[in-house]
Amino acid sequence: MEPKVLFYIHTFPISEPLLFTWIIMAAVAIACFFLTRNLRKVPRGVQHLLEVAVEGIENVVVGDMGPEGKVFVPLILMVATFVGLSNLIGVVPGAVSPTEDLTTTLTLALFVFVVGHVAAIVKKGFWPWLKGFFEPYFFMFPINLAGEISQVISHAFRLYGNIFGGSILIGIVYMLAPYVLPVPLLAWFGVLMGIIQTAVFTLLAVIYIQIKIN
Amino acid sequence: MLEIAIIVAAIAIGAGVALLAGGLVGIGEGYVAGKAVEAMARQPEMEGSIRTTMILGQAISESGAIYSLAVVLLLIFTVVLPLVNRLLELL
Repeated sequence: MEPKVLFYIHTFPISEPLLFTWIIMAAVAIACFFLTRNLRKVPRGVQHLLEVAVEGIENVVVGDMGPEGKVFVPLILMVATFVGLSNLIGVVPGAVSPTEDLTTTLTLALFVFVVGHVAAIVKKGFWPWLKGFFEPYFFMFPINLAGEISQVISHAFRLYGNIFGGSILIGIVYMLAPYVLPVPLLAWFGVLMGIIQTAVFTLLAVIYIQIKIN
Repeated sequence: MLEIAIIVAAIAIGAGVALLAGGLVGIGEGYVAGKAVEAMARQPEMEGSIRTTMILGQAISESGAIYSLAVVLLLIFTVVLPLVNRLLELL
């Protein structure tokens, strides 16, 4: 299950998912730099599409968390962009989705978990936050703790299982019939499932943060 | 050698049985989709929020199938494949 190591920088192994994570990060950074030159009051061209996307995410976040959720819009937008591009890059022949590796998805899930709890501490204060673990009765503490941990695990495994399972299925079909048959499967598992899983991961991130701060 | 073969066979059968969870989750998700279609037919103006809730509910109830998939993949890639390689060496 370990990812393939491509080469070493000194003794630091560079695996396939890590390389493609860096490629996506570079692409997003370059796109952000060039698309935000000469912004206009009346949008034109690509600015239209980007504003539609940003407003869509903002509507989802504000509709779920209320006006105070506006702080989280850039974060959720970042998660959605990264997960979406990681899922879709798997369609390119020779490329590997970073989300096919449990490390990437577990990192993202832990990140959402930590952000949710820090936001809860900032909003409610430390002792009320700690008291939240002992609701409704003090002996419910282990169950609440298990719930928090399993939430991270299920959040990470959902994305990983879907993308990894799809890629294994496509690999098996490639071995059996390498020419025409994989194309509709790639369209289904690569593009459609990739977009749906991105939406699900983003929505769940919004809802997990919202549950923690309320 | 026979012992290893029996272990491999048992684990392979176990992996197949674990995937039954996928079928059961399929039944549940189909039921959710049917109910969502009913709700959309009754109140077409609520279509957007119904669809969001439906996909979210399906994604959460899919966890069971995803866990079984993870268990199967772990079984096959970390337990069965090394044993099969060992068997091939012995042959």
